[in-house]
Amino acid sequence: MQITATGKTDLGLVRSNNEDNFYLDEKTGLLLVADGMGGHASGETASKLAVTVMRDYFHGPQIQFGKYNYSYSEATNRLNSAINFANLAVLEAARESPQLRGMGTTIVAVHLNGNKLSIAHIGDSRAYLIRAGSIEQLTHDHTLVNEQIKSEMITAKEAAQSAMKNILTKALGISEDTEAELDELTVFNDDILLLCSDGLNNMIRDEAMLDIILSSPHHDAACASLINAANELGGWDNITVVIGHIKKKKWHFALFKLMEAFRR
Amino acid sequence: MAKVLLKYKEAVVREFILEKETTTIGRKPENDIVIDNQAVSGHHALLKTDGDHIVVEDLNSLNGTYINGHKASRTEVFNGDVILIGVHTLSVSSNKNKEAEKKTFAVRGRSMDETMIISPDDKKKIISASDKDKPEPLGGFLVLEGSTDQKQYEFNEKVSAIGKEEGCAIMLKGLFAPKLAALVNRRKEGYFITPPGSKQLKINGKVIDRRYDLKDGDIVEVAHLKLQFYVNE
Repeated sequence: MQITATGKTDLGLVRSNNEDNFYLDEKTGLLLVADGMGGHASGETASKLAVTVMRDYFHGPQIQFGKYNYSYSEATNRLNSAINFANLAVLEAARESPQLRGMGTTIVAVHLNGNKLSIAHIGDSRAYLIRAGSIEQLTHDHTLVNEQIKSEMITAKEAAQSAMKNILTKALGISEDTEAELDELTVFNDDILLLCSDGLNNMIRDEAMLDIILSSPHHDAACASLINAANELGGWDNITVVIGHIKKKKWHFALFKLMEAFRR
Repeated sequence: MAKVLLKYKEAVVREFILEKETTTIGRKPENDIVIDNQAVSGHHALLKTDGDHIVVEDLNSLNGTYINGHKASRTEVFNGDVILIGVHTLSVSSNKNKEAEKKTFAVRGRSMDETMIISPDDKKKIISASDKDKPEPLGGFLVLEGSTDQKQYEFNEKVSAIGKEEGCAIMLKGLFAPKLAALVNRRKEGYFITPPGSKQLKINGKVIDRRYDLKDGDIVEVAHLKLQFYVNE
């Protein structure tokens, strides 16, 4: 399997700076979205740093870092190692500079290996899967209200009105012990992956996202329409959208690549 | 005498009698009411008390002070009002009740404001207040009729499928087998099955054309297969 991807980030209509960052690499099959937080400009610094460290990890020797989790594949452990590196990098940067103290970021990352997708996330940035016309959220937000729903302390309705909606229970770069939540998925030909920051999913419902993606002529247009939709409803936060499309590798692709190589 | 109750969700942490003219609230130990929590500023807010007349003043704290869910900088509070600071609440108990509401609030909640984080210890305290954190259910299908590679399939992915498509958890064989016969989703609250597009499938002998929440023991008939759903508690 291979992935084609596109992404877009937008300031929104209320914020004065964009603290979101994203990265996509079709070759290594890596998609990332990070939503930074912290005073001054430190949110931007945190999300940028996390994304850069993870990108560099997949261009390096990819050594195991942190605890190896035997419930998951080697590929998923590599993705987790990349997040562990990013966590340490943000934590150390925050310790070194008083202006950056307390900064942190969410992260949602997917990495494709053959037909297996590794998924990792910290915080409330999300990954969705669109398959056969339906949408499913692949990540569970690490927010206080979500944990309260899980432990049946409040209902989903109460959560929507909660004053504590934006309190995260986990963020990258806040503590050495921060661990990402991991998951794995077998992907199919024509699966669509959507990664986004809360600026999108706080403004529009999952079904509306699905409609926009399925009715757009191509994924670039879908990214722009999703951002427009969030802005039309207020654009209260930075909005970042990354869309990946899974395609089966065909034999003539290999041939095409071979010819390209010869041409050089 | 007016007083406030410091609470962590339902649990009362401490009661404070407001006898001083000014009562300080914050994370630092020199405060009168100390709330040791990352979401609370060092000097977060103060309470100015004159008998039963109590005024809350936010000291430009990072995460703000909320009265009955509304962000406040300087507000009078009455008997029964709830002050939210970080993840703690202070319930006001005094002899002065609020008069009928004069104006409606049109304050935007904090939901779209700054994101903040609390420490894992605090989270544990809040969550463990009710210890109902259930593990995700794990289940799958037993093959009753039809030819498949295995007799039993465990469905451990969040979204999986039955069909001829590469990667399906239960792979169908044969020229006329559908690419996708059914989608199976696994959520915290349980499993559900959906026939894709215009297709149909049979559950317990009944034709289903939309999402169906699977229960232990359900019989699913799809593309020449008869399967029994099971879930481990």
